[in-house]
Amino acid sequence: MSARALRSIAVTLGAALLGIIGVLAGLWCAGYPPATVVPTWLAAAAGNELHLAGSLQQAGPLLCAGLATAVAFRANALNIGVEGQYLLGAITYVGIGVHVGHAPGVVMIPLLLLLAMASGAGWALIAFVLERTRSVPIVLSTILLNFIAVALVSYLIEGPLHDPVTSAPQTEQLAPGLRLPVLIAGTTLHVGVLVIAALAVVLWVAQSRTVFGYELAVVGANERVARLTGIRVERVRGLAMAISGALAGLGGALQQAGVTHYMSDGSVSYGYAGIAVALLGQLHPLGVAAAALYFGMLDSGSAGLERHLDIPHDVGDILKGVVTLVVLIAAVVQWRRRPWSGP
Amino acid sequence: MLSLEGIAKAFGATQALDDVSFTLERGSIHGLLGENGAGKTTVMRILFGLERPDRGVIRIAGTAVRITSARQARALGIGMVHQHFALVPSLSVAENLVLALGAGLAGGRQAALQARIANLGAELGWPIDLRARVGDLAVGQQQRLEILKALLGGGQVLILDEPTAPLTPLEAADLFRVVKVLASRGTAVVFISHKLAEVEAVCDRLTILRRGRVVMSGPLAGMTRGRITELMIGAAVVAPVRGAARPPGAVLLDLEQVSVADRQRRERVHRVALQVRAGEIVGIAGVDGNGQTELVRAILGQAPASGTIAIEGVASGAAHGATRERLGVIPEDRQQDGLALALSLTENLLMKARNQAPFSSCGWRHRARWQAQAQALIADYDIRASGPEQPAVSLSGGNQQKVVIARELSPQPLVVVAVNPTRGLDLGATASVMHRLLAARARGAAVLLVHSDLDELMQVADRILVMSSGHLSDSTWPACTREHIGALMLGEQPAVAGTGTGVGAQRP
Repeated sequence: MSARALRSIAVTLGAALLGIIGVLAGLWCAGYPPATVVPTWLAAAAGNELHLAGSLQQAGPLLCAGLATAVAFRANALNIGVEGQYLLGAITYVGIGVHVGHAPGVVMIPLLLLLAMASGAGWALIAFVLERTRSVPIVLSTILLNFIAVALVSYLIEGPLHDPVTSAPQTEQLAPGLRLPVLIAGTTLHVGVLVIAALAVVLWVAQSRTVFGYELAVVGANERVARLTGIRVERVRGLAMAISGALAGLGGALQQAGVTHYMSDGSVSYGYAGIAVALLGQLHPLGVAAAALYFGMLDSGSAGLERHLDIPHDVGDILKGVVTLVVLIAAVVQWRRRPWSGP
Repeated sequence: MLSLEGIAKAFGATQALDDVSFTLERGSIHGLLGENGAGKTTVMRILFGLERPDRGVIRIAGTAVRITSARQARALGIGMVHQHFALVPSLSVAENLVLALGAGLAGGRQAALQARIANLGAELGWPIDLRARVGDLAVGQQQRLEILKALLGGGQVLILDEPTAPLTPLEAADLFRVVKVLASRGTAVVFISHKLAEVEAVCDRLTILRRGRVVMSGPLAGMTRGRITELMIGAAVVAPVRGAARPPGAVLLDLEQVSVADRQRRERVHRVALQVRAGEIVGIAGVDGNGQTELVRAILGQAPASGTIAIEGVASGAAHGATRERLGVIPEDRQQDGLALALSLTENLLMKARNQAPFSSCGWRHRARWQAQAQALIADYDIRASGPEQPAVSLSGGNQQKVVIARELSPQPLVVVAVNPTRGLDLGATASVMHRLLAARARGAAVLLVHSDLDELMQVADRILVMSSGHLSDSTWPACTREHIGALMLGEQPAVAGTGTGVGAQRP
């Protein structure tokens, strides 16, 4: 491992530690000493098998959204639309799933997952095509496509996909055959999380060992030199956006198939959190995995704080924000501090 | 009047300056010479308050001063003109002055400021139109504005960092005139340059830095070029030798009636015809901005052009793209177009070979072979780096250029296009670039060298054409004099063409 990589890991860990210390100090001022906060937190995040399973399950969709963001960001395609692509994937799985409940799951689950990936990729490619043909920046179009995706999902949930037995805006439940098997009984840790973890490894290998992964890095670092050396920049960026959207769509579908089993208007999407996870993981698949696990543990840990100490679980969100900010600041400072080289 | 005593400065593990001492005297023009990375720019940044020294003292008229900001340097009468101007092109001259010096000043004092700068300009023979938009000014005029700005602090010390790089020969001559006037009025001028001829023309004192240390500081009188060069680089530079002209080979780069328009549909290149044959270096001289950039962009397929461009006999069309990828290209701006700065040397060096056996097969990279190839190129092209994993951004300019050249020339392309390949490089690095181009010529490549440095062009080119306002002249070299070429560069039509005598004597 190069000195560069070691240093960026050290900086990230340092930033995470700094953020934790800051939030602990804040809680201390509010009357919760670290001596009670830290053990409660750790117990809720990873105290026993069930809690650890909860953290891992929570990390799954974060990891998928984080990987989706990282792939696009590496090619300098600022896909902020993982949120929308995730929702598209989720509604595709549920929307079609509730209509084909009697088909065998062995066939239907992979098929539905592929369809979800295709819809996420399609949603992402709208932004890419707009950039190529009409020069609309991806960062703008993906944000706006998020709004459209949210509205589209609301419409489907309240309209064509609405569960007739309830007045609440939600879809019918997926048939048991379309739900993912649970790994540890009594938890929601499902097979999909393993799939996502395997994908992180696949992406890591692809990035470091394949020519396409290399081209992605070159396009992200400098499009002009990429073009000059014959890299098909548009193709690389288009593929990056498609992979990004497909991952986001898969994340949404797995979450519905593994955890929620239906969609409601208030469905939590992990798209925006994925941006923070990707940045915290320095866009490296394994870094993103570590960041997602950290975020997952924060989520279940702060839920524990709320249960036992009556501290609002928003503390976890604050900590995520603080840590991400500190890491970004550290990255900028590192960049500025590089030895000044004369012309 | 201003002296540096024992200045030291380290960046991380690199000792950029070590015990640097020299004195600037009133009314003298002090040349500051050294290779890239010798510490010239660091000295000046310390003097201008942009860096703090780790050790050492700066004295002005005997009193020790601590310069902690550019604002303070200005208050002490120290002015600096950087290579890249700090001007906003869309604003007027007057607005730029306000921005730089007078933000927050009341209207009356701003008017006074503008009057002062206009007076100063008039005294120096540089009329300044305060209402002109800076973007409409020529580079030389922008530099004048920067110099006037730098003098407003009092004009005790004026630092010029490679001031002639963007100038035409005439503009440079005018700059030298003004620098001498300023010196006669008592300003201590610091003149940073790579070009010995310029230093000899204007300076009376000289400080030479090598690897962060002063190796010589004193009067210029009595120093020979050879001695100066030796002090700068520690050894004599082997000047590029062109070797005998070869019988012309096949036409490998063939342009017919090529015209290029910019986004505003103004024609930047006008019906250019150009042939470059195997085994020759064809130089295109010209002042920057006369269509050279657009012409090269057209050849590289980055700008739409009319007319035909044939590379290795393949004319524009379906098969053209693949042929074009075989070109060896040394782009004008190596940081913007030549390198991925954040990536490692290995990743930069194998950008073109990324898909070729034995480095990759079926889309998979053989990382050990990449590394070995990078190591071989680093050794071959004498790239000074700690290893193939070092990021390109941490290399000096000369070594960054070597990375570009190694990547572009090592596949032995039949056609090479180079644009200002030695810009910003020191003597040693310049010579090494020129050697590489000559080596390409010697093995039978067709080399198109677009270069604004006429002296360097005349050292290596077999023919030189001049580009002016989008028009390309006929071959001028070696038939014409340097003056003739200079006149063509400025868009004049010399009365008598090709009356060259004593061309050889003009060559440095």
